[in-house]
Amino acid sequence: MVEKYKILLVDDEADFLKINCKRLMRRGYSVETATSCAEAISKLETGWPTVVILDVMLPDMDGIACLKKIKEKWPAMTVLMLTGHASMQAGLMGIAHGAADYCMKPIELDELIEKIHIAHDETSSLHGL
Amino acid sequence: MNILQSFLKKFFPSQILRSQQDITELQTAFKRQYRNFRSLLTANNNALEIMAEMEQALAMGQPFSMSFVRGRITALTTNVYKMTQFLTQLSDGKYSGLATVFNDLTSRLENILMRQPAVPEGKFIMPLSEIDRNSADLTGEKMANLGEVLNHAKLKVPDGFAITSSASQHFIAANNLEEEINRRLQTMLPDNLESVYSTSAGIQQLISRSPLPADIEEAIMAEYAQLEARQGDNVLVSIRSSATGEDTRNSSFAGQYRTQLNVDKEFLLQTYKEIVASKYRSQAIIYRLQRGYRNQDIAMCVGCLAMVDAVVSGVTYSRSPENPRSQWVVIHAAPGLAAQVVDGSAPTNMYRVTREEPHKVLDRKLSYPDTTQSLAGEKAFSLSSDQINELTRIALRLEKHFGSPQDIEWSIDRSGAIIILQSRPLGLLTLEQRDPELDKTGDEESTPFLMSGGATVSSGAACGPVHIVLSNLDLLQFPAGAVLVVAHPFPEWATLLNRAVAVVSETGQVAAHLATVAREFKLPAIFGMDKATEVLKNGDMITVDAVGRRIYSGRQETILAQAAAPSANLMENSPVYRLLQDALTLITPLSLTDPASPFFTAASCKTFHDITRFCHEKAITEMFQFGSRHSFNEKAAKQIVGETPSQWWIIDLEGGFREGLDSKNKFIHIDDIVSTPMRAIWHGINAIPWQGPPPVSFKGFGSIIFQSTMNPNLDPAVRSTLTAKNYFLVSKNFCNLSVRLGYHFALVETYLSNLLTESYVSFQFKGGAADETRRMIRIALLKEILERFDFRVDLKGDALTARIEKKPTPFLLDRLRVLGYLLMHTRQIDMVMGDQGMLQRYRQKILTDIDMLLKMENKQDDKGAITNGGKV
Repeated sequence: MVEKYKILLVDDEADFLKINCKRLMRRGYSVETATSCAEAISKLETGWPTVVILDVMLPDMDGIACLKKIKEKWPAMTVLMLTGHASMQAGLMGIAHGAADYCMKPIELDELIEKIHIAHDETSSLHGL
Repeated sequence: MNILQSFLKKFFPSQILRSQQDITELQTAFKRQYRNFRSLLTANNNALEIMAEMEQALAMGQPFSMSFVRGRITALTTNVYKMTQFLTQLSDGKYSGLATVFNDLTSRLENILMRQPAVPEGKFIMPLSEIDRNSADLTGEKMANLGEVLNHAKLKVPDGFAITSSASQHFIAANNLEEEINRRLQTMLPDNLESVYSTSAGIQQLISRSPLPADIEEAIMAEYAQLEARQGDNVLVSIRSSATGEDTRNSSFAGQYRTQLNVDKEFLLQTYKEIVASKYRSQAIIYRLQRGYRNQDIAMCVGCLAMVDAVVSGVTYSRSPENPRSQWVVIHAAPGLAAQVVDGSAPTNMYRVTREEPHKVLDRKLSYPDTTQSLAGEKAFSLSSDQINELTRIALRLEKHFGSPQDIEWSIDRSGAIIILQSRPLGLLTLEQRDPELDKTGDEESTPFLMSGGATVSSGAACGPVHIVLSNLDLLQFPAGAVLVVAHPFPEWATLLNRAVAVVSETGQVAAHLATVAREFKLPAIFGMDKATEVLKNGDMITVDAVGRRIYSGRQETILAQAAAPSANLMENSPVYRLLQDALTLITPLSLTDPASPFFTAASCKTFHDITRFCHEKAITEMFQFGSRHSFNEKAAKQIVGETPSQWWIIDLEGGFREGLDSKNKFIHIDDIVSTPMRAIWHGINAIPWQGPPPVSFKGFGSIIFQSTMNPNLDPAVRSTLTAKNYFLVSKNFCNLSVRLGYHFALVETYLSNLLTESYVSFQFKGGAADETRRMIRIALLKEILERFDFRVDLKGDALTARIEKKPTPFLLDRLRVLGYLLMHTRQIDMVMGDQGMLQRYRQKILTDIDMLLKMENKQDDKGAITNGGKV
């Protein structure tokens, strides 16, 4: 795994952000966090992230709506949904609106990292990058 | 026309001149096509693995939770959906019929997942005088039984009322807690006790801190005021959990929830909330997970009962719990409140009393929880013979009333009246009916034991390392598979019972809650084993023989073998189990098996498995057709040559051929192929020469193929034009091989990635020329060998599918070599499979060969082994 992505973690759970931010950084990824959709969008506007990991429930907007917003502006952005809320409909909506994957918490770090790589490959090839 | 010729025509169309630009565009298009194809395969891989996990969960009897079911189905749905999307892209929108089938299936699945238990509608409060068995949905089993005791068995119970399930539902709903609770439970790690405890504590706090809706508050206080009017101002009450589904015959939920004694008016409402919250105590969460109950399957009802000023309390069993057919009643009694008897913390008197009148005391035993307490006194206490008589009559009356042996909690108040606090079925106490003395064999006598004594509270035997638990800290470190050793059988230790293999306690008896749960989980348990926490040392391997009431050092196979009994599936028929069962009917059955059948269509897909099968097959078709559709001969099939041409054809998808290869050449030398998985298979095919039998004449490698293609009378097992040939479809790390060798059809597909999620090997095998019995014997042999090499094998008729997923590349390469070997060496051995001796011989030869093959590989570069170019 040569490529080290710049990952934006979006979740309203402070503990989750703290732990996973630390873990991903230990593996050599650059990580930033956001606790709301608005914050996520403003971080995306800086052009920094290459991958977004998005919770399905956010304080200011539901994750699917946030996903739509992100995909509207940055269609080639790799977005993974990661949620404690296992819902078929949300999963399908997520994929239909351009999320590369819909994963359930808790997730092993190694599994998450693999999913990030696969998601990034798939999204890139979809957009001819 | 010969099929082979038509095939060649397809892949070698007359040359069309193309500009460099055209070719670059085509290459880009192909690359995209190939990526979609691979993504589809990854999704397929995930989907098949998830389906296998769910089938296994149902079959193995291992507990699984609703979170598991919901999580797996969500993951499956998204993967199947991705497959349909990728196929749409691969095929430029063909197969649009899939969407209809998929949407129909998901909405039916959604209905199954959303299935909710009926929520009873009713009053928030019901006084005991209005409650009986029919109120169980509203008042919980415990209060319903108590109402029955009062109103129909006409016995005395404490004055009081029930706060119903409607009230607790309303409380949770008004605070919008359900979704948050489910979210927390979904993210909990059930195997990690710390996670269970913190989730449990968090949810309980969440509930306890939420405000009670005013209407519930008013209703409770109004009813309490009436109780005060009858029992005196600020009457102390016990607040008891009374969950729905509790204390039924199959699930005891013993000691799961809270009961709070001596609550006064001021703390009434807060305590009510805490009892409602105790639905999420850690032991209750674990218990529900083990038994297949969802949170919504259990509604918390609460009993509010005036305290009994108890002089003596106890538990009566209308029959011996060790032996449900026994002809005596068992009474455990202790001074003070009943709670001490059931949590195992007080010294108790045990009486065995005849069921026939006049009731006679058969024997009486005094047991102390530990030595320090017994020194403190209290030995003067005993029941009078009148009390014993009366308790026995009550037990028999309740047994008759409820129609089954009963487990009864009671208190005797200052006026001497016997008050029934609870009566529930004794159905769970399923100790085998046998005398421990009879089970003793000479062996046991000769084996020295570490300790003996105590009482069998749950029969059986088990072996594991000792883990002594005296504090919550010990509890957190409890390893799975250990023997739980405790000083007292506190109900909170029940949290560990899904990890423990046996329980040993220094104190306590058969009436303890922990004993009930141990029996339910079929864990051998000995209580009253004096000094167990001193004699046994953490980490010592011991065998607990609960029947013989002995503890042995080390693993005692004889004793374990005697006790071995098939363990019950704790989940069976629980709400979660039934739900998964129903969901799987829409998921796992495979009806699309033959790609050549006219019914192999999108509209014929009936399950998710069908959809994955369909997408997979059509994706391969699309990949094959890409080359011919675009007359793109750079990517078309080449014949593999070694020293001589073979009958194997290969198509490069991306990077499977050495760079700088002459793309116009119709032949390719094996050394020019750089596809890693292909070369591993090739090595397996060629490393060990095939010696027959059967002694059928053939020339070189492809003779059997020609035989079958030239003989139209042989009914091919699979008629798809695509799969009727030996093709490798390769990239650097991908290989799809379809083979017809002899009269069987085989398909190997693999992708080797440094990402485990993407890595897999799959193998399909079908057909043969021999009669069905012989074919089946061969396929059983294949299954056995594949399983030996870690494949997950599924057999349907004479069609075998085998898969391995998510393993590192070297591991998978070895499996590919094995498959290559099997492809060659199981040819036509079905012909001789009638003979057992022959079968043995082949099994032995195959295993020896494979062993040699894998060792060979470790010594030399795979290139070295591939020299004979497919010639056998």
